[in-house]
Amino acid sequence: MANKTVDNSSEDIEFSTFYVGGALCGIDILNIQEINKHTEITKVPQSHDYIKGILNLRGRIVTIIDLGKKLGLAPVNNDKYNRNIIVNSEDEHIGLLVDSISDVALAKRNEIEPAPSNMSGIKSKFFQGVLKTETQLIGILNIDEVLKE
Amino acid sequence: MFEDDETLQMYIEESLDHLGDIESDLLAIEEAGENIDLDLVNNVFRAAHSIKGGAGFMGLTTIKDLAHHLENVLGLIRTKELIPDSNRISVLLKGFDELKNLLNNIEGSNDIDVSTHITDLENITKASLPEERQDMVTQMVDIVLTDGRTFPQVSLFDIEQYKSEGKNLFLVEYDLISDVQRKGKNPIEVLNSLQKTGTIVDSRIDFESVGTLTESDSPSRIPFQVLFASIIEYDMTETLFDIKRKYIHSILPDMISRSGASSRDAEPAPMPPAKKATSGGPKKTVAQPTQTVTPKKGSKPAVVPDIVKISPAAAAKNAAPAAKREEEEEDNTTERDVSVSVKPQTSLRVNVGLLDTLMNLAGELVLSRNQLLQGVNSSNLKATELSSQRIDMITSELQEAIMRTRMQPIANILNKFTRVVRDLSQQLGKSIDLIIEGKEVELDKTILEAINDPLTHLIRNSVDHGIETPLEREQMGKSPTGKIILRAFHDAGQVNIVISDDGKGLDPVKVSHAAIDKGLITDLQADEMTDKQKMELIFLPGFSTAEKVTDVSGRGVGMDVVTTNIESLGGIIELDSTPGQGTDIQIKLPLTLAIIPSQITSVGSERYAVPQVNLNELLRIPANQIKEKVEKVGDASVVRLRGELLPLLNLAKMLGVEKTYTDPETEEELADRRQNLADRRSKQHLVDEDGNIIESPEEDKKLVERNAEDRRYHTSSAMNIAVVSAGAFKYGLVVDQLHDSEEIVVKPVGRHLKNCTAYAGATIMGDGKVALILDISNLAQMAELSSVSDTGQMARAAAEAAAELAKDKAAMLTFKNSETEYFAAPLNIVERIERIQTASIEVIANQKIVQYRGGALPLYELSQVADFKPLPEKDQQEVIVFKIKDRELGLMVTPPVDALEVNLDVDESTLKQTAVSGSMIINGHTTLLVDIFEMVKTLNPGWFKEEAKVAAEMAQSGEKIILFAEDSAFFRNQVKTFMEEDGFKVIEAEDGLIAWELLKERVDDIDIVVTDLEMPNMDGFELTKKIKSDSKYSHLDVIALTSLASEAHIEKGRKVGIDEYEIKLDREKLMKVIRTKLNLK
Repeated sequence: MANKTVDNSSEDIEFSTFYVGGALCGIDILNIQEINKHTEITKVPQSHDYIKGILNLRGRIVTIIDLGKKLGLAPVNNDKYNRNIIVNSEDEHIGLLVDSISDVALAKRNEIEPAPSNMSGIKSKFFQGVLKTETQLIGILNIDEVLKE
Repeated sequence: MFEDDETLQMYIEESLDHLGDIESDLLAIEEAGENIDLDLVNNVFRAAHSIKGGAGFMGLTTIKDLAHHLENVLGLIRTKELIPDSNRISVLLKGFDELKNLLNNIEGSNDIDVSTHITDLENITKASLPEERQDMVTQMVDIVLTDGRTFPQVSLFDIEQYKSEGKNLFLVEYDLISDVQRKGKNPIEVLNSLQKTGTIVDSRIDFESVGTLTESDSPSRIPFQVLFASIIEYDMTETLFDIKRKYIHSILPDMISRSGASSRDAEPAPMPPAKKATSGGPKKTVAQPTQTVTPKKGSKPAVVPDIVKISPAAAAKNAAPAAKREEEEEDNTTERDVSVSVKPQTSLRVNVGLLDTLMNLAGELVLSRNQLLQGVNSSNLKATELSSQRIDMITSELQEAIMRTRMQPIANILNKFTRVVRDLSQQLGKSIDLIIEGKEVELDKTILEAINDPLTHLIRNSVDHGIETPLEREQMGKSPTGKIILRAFHDAGQVNIVISDDGKGLDPVKVSHAAIDKGLITDLQADEMTDKQKMELIFLPGFSTAEKVTDVSGRGVGMDVVTTNIESLGGIIELDSTPGQGTDIQIKLPLTLAIIPSQITSVGSERYAVPQVNLNELLRIPANQIKEKVEKVGDASVVRLRGELLPLLNLAKMLGVEKTYTDPETEEELADRRQNLADRRSKQHLVDEDGNIIESPEEDKKLVERNAEDRRYHTSSAMNIAVVSAGAFKYGLVVDQLHDSEEIVVKPVGRHLKNCTAYAGATIMGDGKVALILDISNLAQMAELSSVSDTGQMARAAAEAAAELAKDKAAMLTFKNSETEYFAAPLNIVERIERIQTASIEVIANQKIVQYRGGALPLYELSQVADFKPLPEKDQQEVIVFKIKDRELGLMVTPPVDALEVNLDVDESTLKQTAVSGSMIINGHTTLLVDIFEMVKTLNPGWFKEEAKVAAEMAQSGEKIILFAEDSAFFRNQVKTFMEEDGFKVIEAEDGLIAWELLKERVDDIDIVVTDLEMPNMDGFELTKKIKSDSKYSHLDVIALTSLASEAHIEKGRKVGIDEYEIKLDREKLMKVIRTKLNLK
């Protein structure tokens, strides 16, 4: 589940990238259980504002987190490009609601650079680092930190 | 130690199984005393024996030792050489406890010191023997075979014992490889089958003679030696043991060598480690796996303990005993860590029949699925329907069958209380019988496990605080032996467990004082509480009645923990106690936690499930009645439900649900403009009519639809309330809609939602959407956070309830005179209600009468006595027949005539007039209370002449004085008036306490006491009790006045000494009884 802390720095990692709150972010694809589009989310009043609600994933109750709100960016808009990225964490499925899914990026671990210093405060702790591709910057998420209650 | 996990596991399970019933057996043995029930003793003996047998083989020396000594004592009991008195049984019980403990910590068991138990047991054994044989008990001997090999450390006592029973001793050498493993057997099975024909004295694996790998000529053999005692002769043994004769040695007396003998205290002869490194047997069944690398003696002293710390289980498993011993040698003080054990896997015994059923059902399910798939593929609607029906049925059956596998008889936990009670009562010097009923009742395994602690606590409480010492009991006139009844039974889909004792009960006064001292409630609150409420204070957190903390039940954890535990299981706990007579505690539990019946409700677009256990009833207040029924007390809304004030919690508000709706086109969520649940539709409507601009076109469209169906929406704006209760809380949960009741499967919610205490979990509905399950008790607590603290709320609720109780209820008959005039009369003076033809009414001398049951029934109407409208003309006339002075009279009224129970909240002044004693509001109408006596008196004074005469006489001959206690001013005046009219003098008291004070002052004047039952401060029961238990007053007759006499009430009253029961407004009977009691005419 968690990010691999292997020191094998030239190992290839695939990142699933997606847009959330206007930013392009990525997660190690091995953390991802599935990506789906469920709209039948049951709201949970009285929960944190970043909790979108819960849904039924083949008999399991999955908590859906609005990743935009959680990261302190703009909340995820309700539109047809929304996707839930289901990750498995501590024996539990948790869904991350994102604006839209993008490509899979391939990179070596040592290509990940530390998060830029001007990205400070709460936001930065959610990022492991950034990955530069030819055209874009991808923020690599620290899933453990994101999923902390 | 033996390393084959599977065999070890099997051994542990089997042994624990053996131990399961031992406790009750031992207790039964104790009870039987000298009349020994051999079956029982044999049972226990066999258990100890089997455990010992296996332990030897597994290398579990401590267990073997302990089991062995237990067996010795039991053997003596079996042969009636020992009488099982309670001291001996105690030692045995403790021994078996330790044995269980050892089995549960199997990995560390060899390091546990059990010498105290063993010494105790030995002392018992010794005491029963003649002196010259006593030292045998501790003496160990070696058995030396003809080839020089020895079987070390056998108890001489055992050998002698078996010999004296005429048994032959054999040493049987199985080979674990060829005799056991290759024959597909299992060592434990071998031992078990041996037990059928004789007794296993000891068993071990002979490592010394294990062939080493280098000895090419000797085939690998792992001898598994069993010392066996049996009546079978030597020549029969070959067939019996199924091994070659050369491996069966008959033990002759000269083979028993005392030379190497030592007493038990010496280092028990375990498998010497010396050869271990080389033993590396080819099979895993060999005790020492190959990784037992040569122990690095002393080289790295710190390593071993470290391993133990890091990974206790692994270390305990892998470290060879050799290493362990080394560790011991180096550090004898190493604490034994009990938790350093591999917990035996939890397993469950399931009836094979049940498994077969499950298998069948699973098969059926597969078949039906195939049918369904076929049906769907071929678009055959009929086939699909059929198979879906089948699947529906199979699923239900499957669910039920699977649930049954989880069900365990409650006996599993109830049985152990015999022991708990026995030990505790001994410790406390009390004599208590525990009666257990309903052992066969089954409960879900998880619930069963979870109620164990609360039940233990309650039982301990009963023993410690409930039952008195024999001396105290005798002084109170009870039998010196107390009784605790533990009863389990099914009721209404729930399991009920009742713990009742006949001890001293709870003293409400003491309880409330303690609560005040601890600052849980105030004096004022305590004053307003009823006895039951006071007793229930013990459920408050921070309460413990024990004046000093005893180690039995007062351990800082109070009843609140019990309550919390039980409520977390969805259960309810109730308490009922009569001081001096005992306490009943009732626990209601759901059968299972996984599937719960629930009421589905909805707020906004989401559904919420309310567990049926918490649900009392559903209430729907029609839109046009909301205004009158729902009242505001400060900020809180309340509704009056059958005279009770029910606080209302608005679920939408509690959860902060914003009213939203999803736009069907853009899928956007928009805020709903409705402001309040109760007035949502009509308000919307109003807004529309006022011409306010509606912002969104969708809203507009919706509104138009609504207008079209305006009527329907009006009815649906009724208020829907689920009346729920949890513990001390009872409230109405206001929801938008009430749906069906469904069985739902509880699913846990994720960790991000753990802080949302309002939910007990989530469930998946039939349509695949998720609904949250509400936690009724937490919701109540949440609601409170904004108002008052826990105890404050409870006290307030209590005060409210007390106020409710203090109000008098009475059954009234309501009717109308003219269409707009509402009246009521006490139901108990009504004889009948008749409907007569107006034409049959005759008028004779200005008096209307009707032929009725062979006599003439005089008819009256209210307009005759007071300023009321005359009755409307009709063809038929409703007549209420009253009986006064043994004469019947009819009051002509206008229907509807209805009987109901109302709170007598009477206004005596505003509308008072002749024949009307006051007014009250019934069902929203101002209703006048008809005083039939006064009416008759006005219309027919002749009927009362006699009374007047008597009254006059009495007034002359010296007045009789009645002490009359009644808290309701209305009744006080009513009753006082007619007492006075009859010539009595009345001393009034507003409650029992005042009455008591008055009685103390004026006891000489007072001739009789008439009291209400429900009163604040001191109720009628208590007043009576005080009067009857004091010789100064006990001569006085006490007549209780009640509005509704139930059998239970009457019984309770008789107990405290109430002489007569009368209904409040039944004037005639009351006066008659008073006269009789005072010997007046």
